[in-house]
Amino acid sequence: MKYINNQDIMDITINFAIEEYALTELDINETYLLFYSMTPTVIVGKNQNTVEEINMDYVRENNVTVCRRLSGGGAVYNDEGDLSFSFITKDDGSSFNNYKKFTEPVVRALRNMGVNAELLGRNDLLVDGKKISGNAQFSTRGRMFSHGTLMFDVNLDNVAKALNPDPEKYLSKGIKSVRSRVTNIRDHLKEDMDIHQFKEMLLQYIFEGEKGIPEYKLTEKDWKRIMEIAEKRYRNWDWVYGKSPEFNVKQTKRFPSGKVDVRLEVKKGLIEQAAIFGDFFAVGDIHDIEKRLVGVKYKREDLMDALTDIDASYYLGKISKEEFVNMLF
Amino acid sequence: MNIPKELKYSEEHEWVKVEDGKVRIGITDFAQDELGDIVFVELPEAGDEVEADEPFGSVESVKTVSELYAPISGKVLEVNEDLDDSPEFVNESPYEKAWMIVVEPSDESEIEKLMDADAYEKMISEE
Repeated sequence: MKYINNQDIMDITINFAIEEYALTELDINETYLLFYSMTPTVIVGKNQNTVEEINMDYVRENNVTVCRRLSGGGAVYNDEGDLSFSFITKDDGSSFNNYKKFTEPVVRALRNMGVNAELLGRNDLLVDGKKISGNAQFSTRGRMFSHGTLMFDVNLDNVAKALNPDPEKYLSKGIKSVRSRVTNIRDHLKEDMDIHQFKEMLLQYIFEGEKGIPEYKLTEKDWKRIMEIAEKRYRNWDWVYGKSPEFNVKQTKRFPSGKVDVRLEVKKGLIEQAAIFGDFFAVGDIHDIEKRLVGVKYKREDLMDALTDIDASYYLGKISKEEFVNMLF
Repeated sequence: MNIPKELKYSEEHEWVKVEDGKVRIGITDFAQDELGDIVFVELPEAGDEVEADEPFGSVESVKTVSELYAPISGKVLEVNEDLDDSPEFVNESPYEKAWMIVVEPSDESEIEKLMDADAYEKMISEE
């Protein structure tokens, strides 16, 4: 097993790219261990409807990164106080589905620090009935990774703020998130330490019995590919939002001039059908606006562009274009 | 383990059923059992091209996300949309209700290269 030092990069798009690169392009017979923390980020599961999981306004106002992972499951909020770990290895048939194998060294380390962690359910680590770690796996071409979060010192107030408070606005067949009670590892330590010391301790336990910590040093060529993967997948709207399973949006808003009710059908990130109802008074036929929305990405900037040359007051009365587009999210 | 004799099998645990020049594809009983409860099936759309040994979709189970590999190349004619609402069909009925796609093969010789039931059974017993 080799440790990959990510140089303390906090950008999830790069860390996911390192993980994917080690999975699909490095030595297929090697096991790699990667750790990463991140700036405030919401990560949704492979088959989730992104907009259904996040609090759009909060995420935008607070510059929270939104990303989709390759593995399944529900949405999580993480920040600099999270230390995620990833074992990237050969899918030998016995590792696949085996969360115990990958969480065991972590549990052992935690217990030695006085944290009474245990693997419960299928893939969660809990302390006193509260979650400290969620784990997920992805497999492709005889390789797999098993990765998990470790809430060391995450700002728990922001967890609830960044995740969508109103999932009823959306109807989709995507995977729904399950809210869990969470706690930080740091509050359970026998002796306090910071996240860097915590990471060092984990490394020692995971490589226990080995001479030092063997490292795979990413080369310039590796980094070049990693940045390409980050750009192509993890920073790409089509992956982060567009990949969402088909969903329906139902948004209503009461403006001083009347109520607006919008229904959208979104497939592969594009609006396939749009219907606008309401009692706001305007001159133009609202079907013209509906037609403008069809075929456009369900993305604020693209919707603004699609309506750029329309006369808002003719169709929407006292409601501005911005107000109208904002209410769609 | 159910391994119907009349089907052909790939090393990636897909089954193939030849029907008047068309090919129906799904995953095997062995595969669904390994994956556990399936919660989401991601498939291509009718009209898409799939390529032998390349991913054409994925399944998410309660444990993991795994890619699906096309056993043969060709054009997707039909997609089983029932799996959108009922991914559990993959566990309950992998060879019947949970067929995934129907493909118009672009190279019939690829079908010949697939395993028969006995060879597939031997392969999984050795895994």
